[in-house]
Amino acid sequence: MWPVLIGLETEYGLLVEGRGAEDQVDDSMALVRGTPDGRFVGWDYRFESPRADLRGFQVDRLTIDPEDARFDVGSKRGPDNEVRSDRVLANGARFYNDHGHPEYSTPECLSLRELALNDAVGERVVLRAARALQAATGKRVCVYKNNSDGHGASFGTHESYLVPRRLGYERVFRAVVPLLVARQVVCGAGKVGAEAGTHCDFQISQRADFFTETSSVDTLYRRPVFNTRDEPHADPNEWMRLHVICGDSNRISSCNERKFALIKLALWLAEEERAPAWSLASAVRSFSSVSRDLTGSGRIELEDGNWTTSRQIVESYVEAADRYLDSSDKEVCEALDRGRESVDLFEDLDRGGETLATRVDWAAKLRMLDQFVADGSADWGDPSLKSYDLAYHDLDPEESLFDALCELEMVEERLPEQDVTSRASTPGESTRAFARSVAVRQFAGQLVGVSWGCLTFDREGDRKTLVLPPDVVYPRVLEDCRTLDDFLRQIEELS
Amino acid sequence: MIMNADRVLRREGSEPERKHADDDGPSKPDIGRPKAPNELLRRMKKVDPDQAKKYRQRSGE
Repeated sequence: MWPVLIGLETEYGLLVEGRGAEDQVDDSMALVRGTPDGRFVGWDYRFESPRADLRGFQVDRLTIDPEDARFDVGSKRGPDNEVRSDRVLANGARFYNDHGHPEYSTPECLSLRELALNDAVGERVVLRAARALQAATGKRVCVYKNNSDGHGASFGTHESYLVPRRLGYERVFRAVVPLLVARQVVCGAGKVGAEAGTHCDFQISQRADFFTETSSVDTLYRRPVFNTRDEPHADPNEWMRLHVICGDSNRISSCNERKFALIKLALWLAEEERAPAWSLASAVRSFSSVSRDLTGSGRIELEDGNWTTSRQIVESYVEAADRYLDSSDKEVCEALDRGRESVDLFEDLDRGGETLATRVDWAAKLRMLDQFVADGSADWGDPSLKSYDLAYHDLDPEESLFDALCELEMVEERLPEQDVTSRASTPGESTRAFARSVAVRQFAGQLVGVSWGCLTFDREGDRKTLVLPPDVVYPRVLEDCRTLDDFLRQIEELS
Repeated sequence: MIMNADRVLRREGSEPERKHADDDGPSKPDIGRPKAPNELLRRMKKVDPDQAKKYRQRSGE
């Protein structure tokens, strides 16, 4: 088993008073550029390859949403790097404009807890940037951590898992797809109504309405359940990256931990050739049907004509992990704990879901809306319910209904604020993000390019690109380096 | 007659149970959880019910 480097990138919804979707790219650029948290400008795009496919080919172009493309007709915004407006933050995170959405990408993490803490830093970064934009423009700026506008436009929360290339596409695909479909029940964010397919009052996933393919490299349109983008941000001969695009963004932090835990278990089981062998008849149809089944026990059709349930799928992975993985490993142990909790949550759902409603966003939101309906303040056909759904995701604690639930102790306790704050200045683990963090904090004057896998410095006209291998422990003494030469030497000695 | 009887039953059912001053009772009322839904509803009623109509986004990744 290998330590799985993980990261989470979240596109936030943005609404500026008096402005519309046609202004959103400009507004998002302004928000990102005005962040008080940016430490370095100069993202290095040389190593990005969004058109490369894990199945061994490259597409000519990515599919784009024709409806959305209308907003870009005649636009003159300058080069792509100017539009993206990347900022590297003190903790090694990336903050930029992605198709009109402020996007925060966490620094690379190893533990689930660190991932959750670093994602929470992102919420604070985005909120501070929104407040700065509001102060600069005098217009009210709202930012939402959700994945759909309720009118048919979706934007993503993407998970990254660094995987040894030797596992290959097929093995990872087979191991991961059943869990991508089933795990919604224990980590979905919930949504009022449907934006495609048959009507429903409420569903588990924000994103389920937007998947039409089983696997493909696309992310903007005709989205797949399993994304095949081959962009490892590391040596491609040694590594591939599993890029999961079908998850929801979460407000309850344990949902983040749970969704990563289950996929980590699946990847380790894939390596051991022990992943449960579920062959779904249709991952796309099952994704949608699981999202619309609030009992967690609806049928998932299998290729051989039999059927199963999301609960059985999750249980099978946790049982296999319990049996075949080395639970003395700290990371396995952490993931197994969240896996077992997931099984318990399915059991709780069978009993009415009282605990689920405190630990999983969709269930917390549903209970909140049910109370509102029971009070007679609305009914399930009332379009205003979408506004209460949206308010759950508002980052402003004064307006947010998620924050209201936290204050009323109706959802589980939040991450300790001190732990979150400390991750804003430096990542909590010794991954390559720590080296990036030190570079932007201490050597920004000589830094000319940053990417996930490299740092490029200019030493009096001499350019030096430093590769950051993903599987190396970057020691805390890097922080003590007084000179760039010392920093470069110490990193080079690591690999 | 049946309707009246129903009404009487409902009224009786909805009356709070009264306790006399000398009854033993909890020294400190539990005001935590039962109060939460009312406070939650108050917070929900502050939300602009038309906000979702205004929330139009660019399609992202």
